[in-house]
Amino acid sequence: MPTEPQIKLLSYRKRQSFFFLLLAIFLVTLPIFIFYTSGYRLSFENEETTIVTTGGIYITTNNLDVDVYLDEVQVDRPRLFRSAYYIQNIENGVHRLVVQGNGLQTWVKELPVDPYIVTEVAAFNMPVEPQIRPIPEYRNATGVGVFIESSTSTNLFAKGTTTEPFLVTTTTATGTLTANTEFDFVMSLFTEMASSTAASSTLVDRIETQLEQFRFATSSVPVASTTEAFIERNNMRIVLRENELYARWVGSENTVPHYFCVFDAATSTLATRYGEHVALQVDTQRLSTTTPLWFANTRACRSEIKLDRKWQTVDSFFFFPDVNDLVILKLEDGLYVTEIDDRAWQNTQKIYEGDDFEVVVTDDNIYVEEDGRYFELLTTIEADN
Amino acid sequence: MSEESQSHLLPYARRPDFKVGRATELTGSDRRFYRFLEIVPGALSWSALIGVILASIYFPFWAAYFIIAFAIYWVLKTIFLSYHVRYNWKRLKHHMQLDWQMLVSALPYQKFHHLIIFPYYSEPVEVLEEALRGLTAAKYDLKKMIVVLAAEERAGEGAVAQGHAMQEKYGHMFGHFLVSAHPADIPGELAGKGSNTHHALHQVHTEIIAANNIPNEDIITSIFDVDTVIYPDYFNCLMWHFLNSEHPYKSAFQPVPLFNNNLWEAPALSRVMAMSSTFWQMIMQERPDKSATFSSHSVSYQALYEIGYGQANVVSEDSRIYWNLLIANDGVFDIVPLSYPISMDATIAPTFFGTIKNIYKQHRRWTYGVENWVYITFHFTKNKNIPLKKRLAIAALQGEGYWSLVTNPIMLFILGWAPIFLGTREFHETVLSYELPIMVRNLLIIAMIGLVISSIISLSLTPPRPEKYSRFKYVVMVLQWIMVPITMIIFSALPGLDAQTRLMFGRYMGFWVTPKRVK
Repeated sequence: MPTEPQIKLLSYRKRQSFFFLLLAIFLVTLPIFIFYTSGYRLSFENEETTIVTTGGIYITTNNLDVDVYLDEVQVDRPRLFRSAYYIQNIENGVHRLVVQGNGLQTWVKELPVDPYIVTEVAAFNMPVEPQIRPIPEYRNATGVGVFIESSTSTNLFAKGTTTEPFLVTTTTATGTLTANTEFDFVMSLFTEMASSTAASSTLVDRIETQLEQFRFATSSVPVASTTEAFIERNNMRIVLRENELYARWVGSENTVPHYFCVFDAATSTLATRYGEHVALQVDTQRLSTTTPLWFANTRACRSEIKLDRKWQTVDSFFFFPDVNDLVILKLEDGLYVTEIDDRAWQNTQKIYEGDDFEVVVTDDNIYVEEDGRYFELLTTIEADN
Repeated sequence: MSEESQSHLLPYARRPDFKVGRATELTGSDRRFYRFLEIVPGALSWSALIGVILASIYFPFWAAYFIIAFAIYWVLKTIFLSYHVRYNWKRLKHHMQLDWQMLVSALPYQKFHHLIIFPYYSEPVEVLEEALRGLTAAKYDLKKMIVVLAAEERAGEGAVAQGHAMQEKYGHMFGHFLVSAHPADIPGELAGKGSNTHHALHQVHTEIIAANNIPNEDIITSIFDVDTVIYPDYFNCLMWHFLNSEHPYKSAFQPVPLFNNNLWEAPALSRVMAMSSTFWQMIMQERPDKSATFSSHSVSYQALYEIGYGQANVVSEDSRIYWNLLIANDGVFDIVPLSYPISMDATIAPTFFGTIKNIYKQHRRWTYGVENWVYITFHFTKNKNIPLKKRLAIAALQGEGYWSLVTNPIMLFILGWAPIFLGTREFHETVLSYELPIMVRNLLIIAMIGLVISSIISLSLTPPRPEKYSRFKYVVMVLQWIMVPITMIIFSALPGLDAQTRLMFGRYMGFWVTPKRVK
């Protein structure tokens, strides 16, 4: 039988040895981890082991159901319900990003990636087929929308896919129906817009008048000017000047959206990295006193960015609901969404075809009035469609 | 105190400031110095937390490097501590299997008496009875036991009557049995377990030890929280370690507190905190040179007699008594880990939020142990007989312990992300800014692997399942460990910061009695 416990107290020597082992691990791993998190990677290409410096791309999408490709290689999807991708280990140079999804328009951009730096970008994909949510004047007892028409044709919204069922009737007896309050609200938006713009001859005038009327709807601050009109939200101002549209940041320099700034470099370098239009704009603003370039460390930030209007006349323009980086343009042949980010090019996607409709955009919704009918234009495809 | 009445005290213990509890009890430069020391822990903790925030704003790159270093340190610390827990677990199991009665029978243990003190306040009679029943089940000669139920007068006559009822029922089984009643509002005392124990020790000395001419050297004192239920071989194990110690009269004997009396009734949060406390004590068992007494423990009566039975004016009396002993004995006082368990209650309350409140308050009281750092640092500047290296090592180690207890969880789980939210624009555009959360998250996941070891060990220390609970509860007992990051912040860091801040501003805490409940 033992006369004392067989397992002794952990010896001081063992504890010290273990401590120093862990200390050594700490000292070895710390620089490795710091270098790794800063963007350094080991490269085993060409049968040689070298240390390379990498950058990354951070891309957000407005749709969860899309695929992202970098240089034609699909990027792993982020975790469930996340719409942001962080792509690591990208070598220095210009890379092509493609974001696409079933039934959605494709977004494409070529972006420069620099060592240690993450290039941010926001993609958007509008439905190829317009998604229409009808706003009927009445609803029946079961809540289904009812349109009173001269014929019973159900093809009321031929340009898109409707997201809710509705009935069409020729009878004007509405005793069994319930008035749709949303219809009244939407109609009032359009009525006010029409009355306020009736006397306005130019777009500048019209914008000014509309904005005064729809201040509550657009969160914009109209400013009268003889040469330009603008809408503004969260320090982003969309300016109409001499029939061209510009996006201007009026907030503090510290909070300027990243796409306003480019690396301060020679014109040729800028053209290679971001496109000739950006290089030209930087050169112009470098000399300008009204829209001067300003600098933050190694970056040159532009005062304003010109928006792509597809060589068409701008009928009206709005901020995209809930997003400051996208603008809705009503042009001659339809309604478009364009991005302010002009690196490489501006993606512009048509969301509704035609030239004979009216649009009102609130903070949350895009309403359209066409042929006396109202509907909401949805910018995503609903799951059950 | 007269010179005669101080004659039994060690020289350093005769100093008027030996039993200082707070700065206000001193005068002159000592008072100012003590007050400064009271400010230091809170100031250091707040500086660290605010420092990380400021660094994240103004020096985000350096803050990010620091956070990476800190996360690696945390992983390695987890490995280091897990190693200790695992080792002690093996030793604990081994000690629980040993026949200590047989081991001690070969040693001259017969002359020793065990003085067992249970200070209590208004705990239910079942708690007292459970503790006494534990004693009666000991594989030890009960006639060698002097049992003291130390009641509080301020708890009312019922509390004292409860003690007498227990004496009636169990008194005859032990060598001696005393019910003491600690008077309320004694000047200079802080109402609580410390002052109650202090009073009981004085009373038992007069009424039993001196009256029966029992030599001080032949008594080993065990000061037990009233919910302490001993394992049958506790006193044999204690005796064996006492008789095999290098300095038995200059040593405190520390068992492993298992907060498992009511583990099956306790909610998951309470179980995690209870087991976490046990694990910490298991770690300390393997590094006794860095520990102090905690909760229930044993020590030679003579050693207590030589320091006048410790202090009656502090909150964290369980550890303070060790620091009293160490300082009065010029640095020669050891902790002897028993690696043998005692059972205590996990903190619970009738409602879930009541339990949360009680756990918070209990841990605030425990972390108010930072007052001991002030005490030892003050006396380390006075008692030059303690080797300087030892003084510096203890002060630094204890200080770091209280600092990291408060700051580490907050820095790791909350402020670790600060550079990402507060950093400059230049920082936000870097790979470092994006990789930092990924790196920290991955390191924390690795650190969480230590929790798997924790869950396995905790299951092995869980008492048998009462029939009324389903086997599913075992699954819950494993999964409960994912709450650790939250419990570390809510029940360690925040109460610790609360306690240090109170001390920093001189808003001294009183003793809060943790409610004990046995179903």
